[in-house]
Amino acid sequence: MTAVRTSHSAIALLDPSADNWKLAILVGIAATILAVLALPANATFWVVGAAVALVAAAFVVNAYRKRYYGGLLVAPAIAVLFVMNIFPLLWSLGLSFFAYQSNQQSIRFVGLNNYIKVLTNDIAAPANWDALINTGMFVVCTVAAQMITGFLLAMLFAKQFPLRKYLLILVLTPMMLSVVASGVFFTYYFDPTFGILSYAMGEITGQQFILMDNKAGAVTGIVFADAWMWSPFVMLLVLAGLVSVPKYLYEAAAIDRVSKWRQFWTITFPYIRGLLMLALLFRTIEAFKLYDLVYILIRGGQDTKTIAYLIAEIANEQNKTSEGAALSYVILFMVIVLTNLYLYLANRRNQGA
Amino acid sequence: MTVMTKMKTFATAAGFAATLLVGGASMASAEEVTLTMAVPDWPPTRILKKFFDEQYKPKSGNTVKLEVDFIPWPDFYTRVNASLTSGEQKYNFIVSDSQWLGAFVEGGYFRKINDLLEADPEFMATFKTIHPNPLNAYSTYPHKTENYYGFPQFPDVLVNYGRQDILCHEEEQKNFQAKYSKKLPCTGEELDAMTWDDFRNVGEFFMRKKGDMLAGKPAEDDFYGISYQAGKGYDFSSMQINGFIWQMGGDTWDETKAPKGQAEGVVNSPEAVKALEKYLDMIQFMPPVAKTGTMDIFVSDQLFREGKVAMNIDWIGLGEASLAPDSKVKDKLVFGQMPGTMGADGKMIRWSNIGGQPFVLTTWTTDSQIKEAVDFVKWWLSSDIQHQFAAGGGQSAVKAVYEDPKYVTYRPWNRAWAPQLDWQKDVWHVPQFFELLTQQQDQFDLAITGKQDAKTTLDNIAKFQQDKLKESGLIE
Repeated sequence: MTAVRTSHSAIALLDPSADNWKLAILVGIAATILAVLALPANATFWVVGAAVALVAAAFVVNAYRKRYYGGLLVAPAIAVLFVMNIFPLLWSLGLSFFAYQSNQQSIRFVGLNNYIKVLTNDIAAPANWDALINTGMFVVCTVAAQMITGFLLAMLFAKQFPLRKYLLILVLTPMMLSVVASGVFFTYYFDPTFGILSYAMGEITGQQFILMDNKAGAVTGIVFADAWMWSPFVMLLVLAGLVSVPKYLYEAAAIDRVSKWRQFWTITFPYIRGLLMLALLFRTIEAFKLYDLVYILIRGGQDTKTIAYLIAEIANEQNKTSEGAALSYVILFMVIVLTNLYLYLANRRNQGA
Repeated sequence: MTVMTKMKTFATAAGFAATLLVGGASMASAEEVTLTMAVPDWPPTRILKKFFDEQYKPKSGNTVKLEVDFIPWPDFYTRVNASLTSGEQKYNFIVSDSQWLGAFVEGGYFRKINDLLEADPEFMATFKTIHPNPLNAYSTYPHKTENYYGFPQFPDVLVNYGRQDILCHEEEQKNFQAKYSKKLPCTGEELDAMTWDDFRNVGEFFMRKKGDMLAGKPAEDDFYGISYQAGKGYDFSSMQINGFIWQMGGDTWDETKAPKGQAEGVVNSPEAVKALEKYLDMIQFMPPVAKTGTMDIFVSDQLFREGKVAMNIDWIGLGEASLAPDSKVKDKLVFGQMPGTMGADGKMIRWSNIGGQPFVLTTWTTDSQIKEAVDFVKWWLSSDIQHQFAAGGGQSAVKAVYEDPKYVTYRPWNRAWAPQLDWQKDVWHVPQFFELLTQQQDQFDLAITGKQDAKTTLDNIAKFQQDKLKESGLIE
């Protein structure tokens, strides 16, 4: 039986049919090697691209003939994901092992040197660690502010009251505005000469009030602006949980004269816990990438540079592409570890409950 | 059948690749030439586009289209840098900031223009009548050699914007005289004669709270003495601080002395530290936003236009906005040269960091595009258009134009233009400039927001520059 199969696949390997993906891979590898050896880098790029397309096409035809339609249906999504996401990711991972600057034509393999530099260099490393600590601080502050505000807003809007519909739309508006628009709005809001905040504080205390002239003030300003934009997102998720709690549970609890506090923890909370966890996960991942508000409000001044800010500065402005890539991968690694840790803890709790 | 399928697959892949390859190249025909241009969004480039649309007739008879991307200043470098380094080859023609030359010449993006100049002796002659300081800053790389890359688009210097209604008020004049035993500068000539100490006095003198008397009336709001750039973004503090350092006998790292010239010991010399201290000392007399490190050239300009300060040092390029209908100070303006430092011989030292931008051509621009671009630049630098540009709020660095007696009558700040040209220097043009600049801006920001003193700041900058430039082989 095995012998038959081997001989069958041996024939199939050289059979130039459209679904012979093994042959396609061989041809692709051969073409790639030849191109790398013989052609200039620009042409090689396209030859490799064509080889990948060839293999992909063979897979598609193979799936079609084997009637593997499920695979075919997700194929477009996978293709887009590969082109837009996986390929650039792998490409930048490759770049992080080279000395490459996007404004220079030379490229040289340096192994782990970029990683060593971002973690240990006496100029680069302290800046990276500072930015990482700032990022951690922003993650904790912004996520906490959004979760609390969003949760309280949801509790408010779960009840019926006059004008609720219109107020809800108003509260949701910040989420729909572009970050740049909100950022510019807040620069005026916080401005010591033209801004209403300094005006109001000045009227109350009689002293000139400058919010962003120290780190605490600058962080408060950024956290406030971020919470203003993203609390509605948390609110929406929690609100969805709140309205899904069946009314009869509360009625039963009321008959049993259960206190409001107890009602919340034993009836409401279990329903919204999953959604709260989801909101927490989304907002934490987003908060790790905080760049826009720091840039617009204070340009990374008052020691508020986050790691995303630093990467943008290194990779996009100073053109140190491979160093930026290495730093990005260090952060990616941290985020993956943290996210998995979080998911593990969340699952264990669920099982314990 | 199977062979057919395979052929088809291959053809599709190849076709796709070919489309992508060809898509980047331009499709210019003989009759219609399109020039795609990246420019910062502000009055001097808006005027350029307006002149082109209204007046420009190509000599060749071709239809020339100028597609202009107006990019806001704070993001201008990032956007152009991203476009050039990504290899999209979008722009033929860029209004580049002068410091960028090294980075983009070494990257292979900016085209050398010596051959274009040599092919046209008449054009070369015009080119050579441009004042040498702007010419060196905008065109040469390595700095001050005869390798040309840019044609001046808009030359710029820092000038002193003053509020005539307040400075010339009798009561204020009297009080200032009593306090400092010196006349409060009020006319353009008096502004020209100011030193930084006088500027500081003006700052101290005009700090008023809401309700205090200001020029005979109670102030409607808090009023501040002075302002100049002290922001963390782009180059919005270095451009002012360099002037202080050069005037007071200090120096920045000099690229023309590479590889012998050092950064340590030069950048943080005692003179430079003193100059930075003087710069920092005046921040107390500025609107409070300066303490947050976001006082860039646009913020200080806006504060001045909103009538919050008595004097503001800013680029001429923003001058047009102060005359605009929505400016609260449009009919109360007086302009003078940037304050200087009195030398030991009693002569004023006026070193200042040059502003302004050249046009540059990119290396992928085709011959027909180059021809049209050069024709356009020749037209732009012709005497008639340069006069119109100056009359519309621009400036000219062409000698015959700015020496014309008519020149000073166009705009109130033009009188401060020609005398300052001899005193202009530029910051580094080396490929590492942006790293040097961001580190320096970060350090200056720490000093401006009161986190560290002038000495530490310059020591940190000097050490960074020494290491960085040694690593790049620019310091031995």
